Amino acid sequence: MAEKAERSVVEVEVPLDFTYNYRVGQYLERYIKGLGEKKILGVRCSGCSKVTVPPRNFCGACNRVMDEWVEVGPEGTVENYTIGHVKVERGAVEKLDEPRLLAMVKLEGATVPLLAEVKGMAASELENGLRVKAVFKDPVSDSLADLSHFEPVGQEVK
Amino acid sequence: MRNVAIIGVGYTPVFVSKRKDVNIVEMISESVGAALNNTGLTPDDIQAVTYGNMQTFEGVNLPHLWTSDHMRALNKPTIRISTGGTTGMSTLQAAYYYVASGMYDLVMAVTWEKQSEGDSQVGLSGIVVPEAMTMVQHGMDLFSGKGMGFGGGGSTGAASYQAMSYLHHSGASPEHIDKMAALERSNAALNPYAHLRKKTTVEDVQATPMVAFPLRFGHTCPTSDGATTAIVASEEMVNKLTDGNVAWIVGLGSATSDPCTANFLEGQITDPAEQMPAKIASEKAYKMAGIEDPGRELDMCEMYNGFAHQSLMWLEKLGVCKEGEAHKMLDAGALNIEGEMPTNASGGVFSTNAIGASAMNRPTECALQIMRKIEGGHQIPKKIKKALSHGWGGMFQYVTVMVLADEPVSS
Amino acid sequence: MRKVAIVGQAQVNASDVGKSRERMLFDLCKGFYDGMGITRHDIDTFVLCSNDFAAGHTISNVFEDCPVGAYMKDETKVEADGVMAVTYALARIMSGLYDTALVVGNSQGGSVMRPYLVMDYTMSPTYDRQLGLLNELSSAALQARAYLDAYGLGDEVLDRIAARNLRNAAKNPDAFNGKADATPESVAGSDKLYEPLKQDHCFPFTDGACVLLLAGEEKAKELTDKPVWIRGVGDSLDSYYPERNLARSKSVKLAGERAFKMAGMNDPAGELDLVEVSAKFASQEPIICEGLGLFAEGSASDVAVRGLAEIDGAMPVSPSGGALGAYPLCAGGVTRVAECYKQLTGSAGDLQVADARTALAHGQDGLYLQHNAVMVVSTEEG
Repeated sequence: MAEKAERSVVEVEVPLDFTYNYRVGQYLERYIKGLGEKKILGVRCSGCSKVTVPPRNFCGACNRVMDEWVEVGPEGTVENYTIGHVKVERGAVEKLDEPRLLAMVKLEGATVPLLAEVKGMAASELENGLRVKAVFKDPVSDSLADLSHFEPVGQEVK
Repeated sequence: MRNVAIIGVGYTPVFVSKRKDVNIVEMISESVGAALNNTGLTPDDIQAVTYGNMQTFEGVNLPHLWTSDHMRALNKPTIRISTGGTTGMSTLQAAYYYVASGMYDLVMAVTWEKQSEGDSQVGLSGIVVPEAMTMVQHGMDLFSGKGMGFGGGGSTGAASYQAMSYLHHSGASPEHIDKMAALERSNAALNPYAHLRKKTTVEDVQATPMVAFPLRFGHTCPTSDGATTAIVASEEMVNKLTDGNVAWIVGLGSATSDPCTANFLEGQITDPAEQMPAKIASEKAYKMAGIEDPGRELDMCEMYNGFAHQSLMWLEKLGVCKEGEAHKMLDAGALNIEGEMPTNASGGVFSTNAIGASAMNRPTECALQIMRKIEGGHQIPKKIKKALSHGWGGMFQYVTVMVLADEPVSS
Repeated sequence: MRKVAIVGQAQVNASDVGKSRERMLFDLCKGFYDGMGITRHDIDTFVLCSNDFAAGHTISNVFEDCPVGAYMKDETKVEADGVMAVTYALARIMSGLYDTALVVGNSQGGSVMRPYLVMDYTMSPTYDRQLGLLNELSSAALQARAYLDAYGLGDEVLDRIAARNLRNAAKNPDAFNGKADATPESVAGSDKLYEPLKQDHCFPFTDGACVLLLAGEEKAKELTDKPVWIRGVGDSLDSYYPERNLARSKSVKLAGERAFKMAGMNDPAGELDLVEVSAKFASQEPIICEGLGLFAEGSASDVAVRGLAEIDGAMPVSPSGGALGAYPLCAGGVTRVAECYKQLTGSAGDLQVADARTALAHGQDGLYLQHNAVMVVSTEEG
């Protein structure tokens, strides 16, 4: 019985591609609107003084709502990075022709790093301590993509 | 065995179709905050967290990870439970076992759903891939219940088979379903944490369109956004932290059978109104609670009813009354808030359905009734000594039961 | 507190088991019952461990109940790492309401879905998924870089860790990704992914299932001559947000401290004979072991050079080959406990650690080792 059932089961591709419509919440909404004005907004915890970017409404460590808005960046320092020779596309690993640089950037005025792509430099030059500057999309698209990437400070910003 | 009690409950301020003002973790945060406020506890007091929802409904895998900060669970032991429609009670049961085992003394159970962000039929149709085709072939309309919420198998069609079977077995009429629906909707109108809050008459229900005979639109549950948190404590903590006004968990059980579609594959159909796991789980819970005659010893019931016929059906399957008697109790007014066996005074899942929290709200409503801390107008006037709560899920196959009481069984 | 022991295990791991999930579970559990000389009716409660995203089913346990023998039985499902499922089964027996509990973890990450996609769905949909930068590999790489940089270590230490695990896995009949001739050089030659991670540093996509039978004291002694006692458990959730020092894991540290306290251990490094850790990437192994206090912080290079983590070393780490040998997602943590059970019952074959009496199993969930769970097991009743 079981064998028969298994023979009849061919491999089928069943993508679970459903569309969800997420509420980003008021904090990310304000952050995205800020990006449209070429501003990076963070929020400070009145308990531990931590400034988080992107902003979120609650500090778990202090058990309190965070509500002091601050502008951070647009310059910052690379604190950690990885050079991607592949990308992960819907769970599949695909080789890249050109490596992509991914960095955790501590923005001026922020205490926690922001994960971002770095462009405009050779992979071999990326290192901790590097000064980088935010590059915004123009025209803006009212999405997180408005903060396009970071470039080393000193380069011409398009 | 250690005595374990629910010492406090926190709901989101509302249960509604769409919480547009908050994202998922912000919404959960509200119910955790409410539970802490209601008990006067701080996050530091909580020793461990149990957490449950149905993750495909929002498309977030292991969402307890994303919720870490917002639910005040940083650096705490945290376990995630998921069993379908029963998730809420399964999560509370995990908190019970954590305390009963002696591993912890104070555990917080967090349950939620924010169904507006996905389509619940998406999650439910996910159950039956690749069985979907088989179900369609057998005339089970997977998508007829679109927007109406949980049917166990994604289908008001499947629930209608259950309702038909129940009517045949019990001798109840389709009008009894209308009557139960009107009663529960009217109860919900009194409950500030209910979703559909409109005083409803039998005629109102009968004016709604037929979906799949005998079920009308007015017999089906909504999909809701909301979260519920309960705090569970050992007897030692109850004595230390509370004035003693708590709800003791004196009996529990769960049982599973077969997913109904599996039998469709074999050309056999389990009667969806049979629900043997309800008998197995409830008998176990009653024995543990020292209950010999549930109909006499219980003071109230909170049933998991995605559809209006189910409150009546469960009363029979859980041994609260004999087969064929639930609709007579309804006619006699026994199921009213002022009756002998108030059933779903909250309005039930049928009126409020944030799925992951739905089977949690059954025991939390019992607990609040016992503690006489019901907000709104649905406090049962008589003293509640023992209350029965019930959860239902899987694919028609899984039942959880919890009996709560105003005092512990053993001492 | 009531004493609880593990009295049996069975597991299956492959890149493709070639069976449906239901058949895989039926074969494993029925075979296990037959081997133990029991039936499904000897099981008081079933704790399943699977994941809806990994299974492609909402309520993944609904089609597992019957194959594992839970029809008309008490059953629940933990949707997290398998060590948490074993922890919950332990709590259920300790409550006094059950004498036996069967833990069954499973996933089919080798043939049915891609584990990296499951991790994608774990990220916040409102931010991290929108950015498209973070994934399981890039996050692990960032943590690897943080560890290496914090202590000034070169990338080659990861190659040594991976080579040891791959060589051990080759001798484990329950693993499948073994490489008997793996060397640091061969690992270093594997494909670059996100630096510093290379292909051979990463867990293989695995179909697998693992079953463990737990029993209360009296029942355990009835069922076996070699019960393995669960002496301590602990777990801890860290923040989702990567604002912490990624080179260390507070979550691992707290999980370990809780388990050691419950087990009454004052000197874990001295009292443990081996550990089985769920290091999905070679870089996670030192972070986990150092969090548990087994090795000094930043000592990965020294540990590798001195062979401390080898089977005959001072603290054998994942003699089974660990997660690099096979990692069936939720069943992964159950498998680590099962591998400890094999060691403590003297049935680990070529991988046997001499005189193994006390062991620790570790499991994890999330990005950057966000949630960790550990379990201390021992031949000594305590």
